[in-house]
Amino acid sequence: MSLYASAVKRPVMTTLFFVAVVILGLFSLQKLPIDLYPDIDTNTIMVLTSYSGASAADIEQNVTRPLENTLNSVSNLKHISSKSRENISVITLEFEYGYDIDVLTNDVRDKLDMVSSQLPDDSETPIIFKFSSDMIPIMLLSVQASESMPGLYKILDDVVANPLARINGVGSVSISGAPKREIHVYVDPIKLEAYNLSIETISAIIGAENRNIPGGSFDIGSDTYSLRVQGEFKESTQMQNVVVGSYDGKNIYLRDIATIDDSLEERAQQTYNNGKAGAMIIVQKQSGANSVEISNQITKILPSIQKNLPTDVKLGMIVDTSDNIRNTISSLVETVLYALFFVVLVVFVFLGRWRATMIIAITIPISLIASFIYLFGTGNTLNIISLSALSISIGMVVDDAIVVLENVTTHIERGSDPKQAAVHGTNEVAISVVASTLTLIAVFFPLTMVPGMMGVMFRQLGWMVCIMMIISTICALSLTPMLCSQLLKLNPKSSKLFKLLFTPINKGLDGFDNGYAKLLNWVVTHRFITFLLCMALFLSSLILMKFVGTEFVPVSDNSRLGVKLELPIGTRVEIAEDITKRIYDEWTEKYPEIKVLNYTVGMAGSDNTYASLQDNGSHIISMNITLVDPVDRKRTLTEVADLMRNDLKHYPEFKKTQVNVGGSRGGGMSGQSTIDYEIYGYDFETTDSVAAHLKRALQGIKGTADITISRSDYQPEYQVDFDREKLAIYGLNLSTAATYLRNRINGSLASQFREDGEEYDIKVMYAPDFRTSISDIENILIYNSQGEGIRIKDVGTVVERFSPPTIERKDRQRIITVSTVVADVPMSDVVAASQIEIEKMDLPVGVSINLSGSYEDQQESFSDLSTLALLIVILVYIVMAAQFESYTYPGIIMTSLLFAFSGVIIILWLTNTTLNIMSMIGGIMLIGIVVKNGIVLIDYITLNRERGMGIRSAVVDGGKSRLRPVVMTTLTTILGMVPMAVGTGEGAEMWRPMGIAVIGGLTMSTILTLLFVPVLYCIFASVGVKRNRRHLKKLLLKNK
Amino acid sequence: MKSIFIAFDQAHYENIIELLEKMNSRGFTAWEHVQGRGTKTGDPHYGSHAWPSLASSILTIVDDDKVDKLLQKLKELDDLKPMLGLRAWVWNIENSI
Repeated sequence: MSLYASAVKRPVMTTLFFVAVVILGLFSLQKLPIDLYPDIDTNTIMVLTSYSGASAADIEQNVTRPLENTLNSVSNLKHISSKSRENISVITLEFEYGYDIDVLTNDVRDKLDMVSSQLPDDSETPIIFKFSSDMIPIMLLSVQASESMPGLYKILDDVVANPLARINGVGSVSISGAPKREIHVYVDPIKLEAYNLSIETISAIIGAENRNIPGGSFDIGSDTYSLRVQGEFKESTQMQNVVVGSYDGKNIYLRDIATIDDSLEERAQQTYNNGKAGAMIIVQKQSGANSVEISNQITKILPSIQKNLPTDVKLGMIVDTSDNIRNTISSLVETVLYALFFVVLVVFVFLGRWRATMIIAITIPISLIASFIYLFGTGNTLNIISLSALSISIGMVVDDAIVVLENVTTHIERGSDPKQAAVHGTNEVAISVVASTLTLIAVFFPLTMVPGMMGVMFRQLGWMVCIMMIISTICALSLTPMLCSQLLKLNPKSSKLFKLLFTPINKGLDGFDNGYAKLLNWVVTHRFITFLLCMALFLSSLILMKFVGTEFVPVSDNSRLGVKLELPIGTRVEIAEDITKRIYDEWTEKYPEIKVLNYTVGMAGSDNTYASLQDNGSHIISMNITLVDPVDRKRTLTEVADLMRNDLKHYPEFKKTQVNVGGSRGGGMSGQSTIDYEIYGYDFETTDSVAAHLKRALQGIKGTADITISRSDYQPEYQVDFDREKLAIYGLNLSTAATYLRNRINGSLASQFREDGEEYDIKVMYAPDFRTSISDIENILIYNSQGEGIRIKDVGTVVERFSPPTIERKDRQRIITVSTVVADVPMSDVVAASQIEIEKMDLPVGVSINLSGSYEDQQESFSDLSTLALLIVILVYIVMAAQFESYTYPGIIMTSLLFAFSGVIIILWLTNTTLNIMSMIGGIMLIGIVVKNGIVLIDYITLNRERGMGIRSAVVDGGKSRLRPVVMTTLTTILGMVPMAVGTGEGAEMWRPMGIAVIGGLTMSTILTLLFVPVLYCIFASVGVKRNRRHLKKLLLKNK
Repeated sequence: MKSIFIAFDQAHYENIIELLEKMNSRGFTAWEHVQGRGTKTGDPHYGSHAWPSLASSILTIVDDDKVDKLLQKLKELDDLKPMLGLRAWVWNIENSI
């Protein structure tokens, strides 16, 4: 027994089966975590090799090159790039997306084992480091403090960081901007010399005094006691009374030669939140954990944490990435609901019966909810892609049910019992329903096989839509006939209100049918003109293509800006602080949109995991700006960013400025696109000058901003050149001398001061006043084994030098990258303009320029998507040819693709939207959607012909009777997309191009398909008829 | 004994079985899917792309006195749903085992 016959016979089973599906789906929905994008596996592995004492060039030659040559043979490698700087080589391996990173890591490890013997003996074993998106912080908390500032680090560490780190899924919590406590022993070198003491002696004495030593145990009577010496300092002031030596029989106390400064680290990052000093707490998640869940838990416990803090310490939120996720997802959910409403409305208007509308509408939630089971089963999340899939499908899942319902209704009107009508009516259309689903699957299934980044993004879309289509077909072949058999009646009574409402609608629809029939009649009698007009329209739309710009991914407004400012290398932190304060004052006044402005200056300590991954230094300023939600402000994120870039031009102090939309530069899926111009060439000077030239050229192009050159400047520094011979004369060697130098300037770690279970460093060094000039350094005394003091200036000279920059390589060639952000104009415009500039440049021999960045991503994904489109067209053709058992008809139907293409271009041009991956995906979906109209039309025309009608009357009658179903299914799809296309919620920028493309292409192609396809059919059919006639004539003549 | 051959749109199938049951005529032979076309009017029933509907047919052997009543009932059914189509013919039964 067929599926529909048993479904009609067993309504209870059918109902309960779908109820079970819905319950499972809702259960899955409840468990589904939400996220912004599908899980993107990391595709980057770093190999770090240190070789201390080697210069950048040595590292490049001896470490980086052999490693690169070997690692280059790892499979699925996309790019290999490296940075060789003093002491260390960092190689970054970028793999194609979609491969198991663990397998790749093992491959890399094997290769490293092979090459290790070729590396210099003193170099360390290479370390493999997997970089993942989990390292991007999910939350930044601001801390404002006043009186508690000196002890802030400890307070935050105990009260905030520890509880947060205990939350499930939190990877690490780091505190930046709150300097740690440190006890400095500031020594006066003149007194030191007078008493014949050295930093090393003092450091050793402090270390020896600050100790607890167990003395074993001893027995007194019947008891055993342990013996201990408790010598550790209880307070830092106790140190003052430590005896460090004797002079003329008198004790010299530490207080005589040094001051004890119990304060904070000397070099540390300082953080300001909304102008007030404080700190920043950075929360990173564990790999695979869900940001929204973590953020929910953190927000839940923050109030209780706040209670435990001193009253002057206030916690606030700088960035909560989950905010954006939540808002985006909720605005997309709203879009889906609107789409649902519109689709149901269209069905109701066209069918005019509420029972029929209900039967059809019920397939929407069932198919949609069933797809949640897939998401849950495969461990996916509710994200932009999966929700877009829902929104796209709403208009399409009803189509099958509509076809079935229409045919069942015809049977009932002919006099069949609803039960019989349901079975036989469904039986008649079952094959064409399955075939039309197959054409859609032919479109969406290949999406699951796209390689690269696109594959990661759209695999889920492909699967979701396929699953929903299959479920909706199953639904249309079982639940719909069952409901028809139970709910539909012959000539149902209709109320007065209903008549009042639907008489004009029906009249309008009838008029529409007749008008179309007349137009169609005219068209098929003027085939040639129609053909020419349609083709002219298509060709002229191709001209518009020139004016439609292309880009990679639309910029989405997540209310976040990241600003990175660089002063000339070596600028003191006080100057950076001062200038940042000025910018802060200017911006907070100018931009009322700013909700939080947090900035950090200074060099980060090595124990701050977050900061040490970023560039930092006394001359670098980094800002995190959060604007109010997009609905509450007039200016968009990019507008504010542009204005800020302009403001920064008035500060000549800065060497480099970056205003990053979305928080980080070229962050793949958010933020503005970047174009990287990679200049390959060996010689530093030549490539430097090409880069500088290119930068100037780019500055003249409209739409470029924040142009940066990757190679950093030569860093000025002082070096002490020791004379080895002189050292030897005094019985010294280089490392002893260098250690003396370090202990005096950087400080010698004497011991650790313990308090409340925490340890703080005690550092002995020259007092700050005695390390401010070159002569201070030259006068440093070094003692040899005989106890003689020798001044640095006697054994060496202090010279100013420039340390060479990092050597960057990509794909085994030296490279320097000039990178620009694309602001406000389509990326293609900037690319075209810059290519003209590059042509004009007279490149030296051996130097070449290559474009990458978002541009490379765009090129790759566009070519992937074009191949995909071609594949889909072929698959769809195959499905149709099989259905019609003809090679011509599918060809005729496929001409509607031309008009879909025109439609997409025209609407993109009209709405000033760019061609990006989202609008391209929209275009690809159109292939399946627009051919459906042609199928319905041609199918009915051939049916008319088979029933014995002439070509023209078959076409006109077929067109007239299929107009309503075509317009109805098209309207459901278009209206399903309207909420996407006009959405203004957070993140709407992302899916708007897709909605726009589908609407434009579908509208245009539907209108023209309704005219052009019948014309083409007439032309081909009459050729066929004539051919048959000639053939018959020949046969007749032969027989005579 | 007479034989009645009934050809009809398959939507009638269950109604006719029910009718035979009511008339106490136990024996019949049915073909659920048959193709056919009316002599004068009615859509062809071919189960093809152009004419997707199908017909069924039943051959039943009844006592002579039941024939008229059965034909009358069938006529009523046909009049009720003229679009579907239902025809019946009666033959004599010469012999049987």
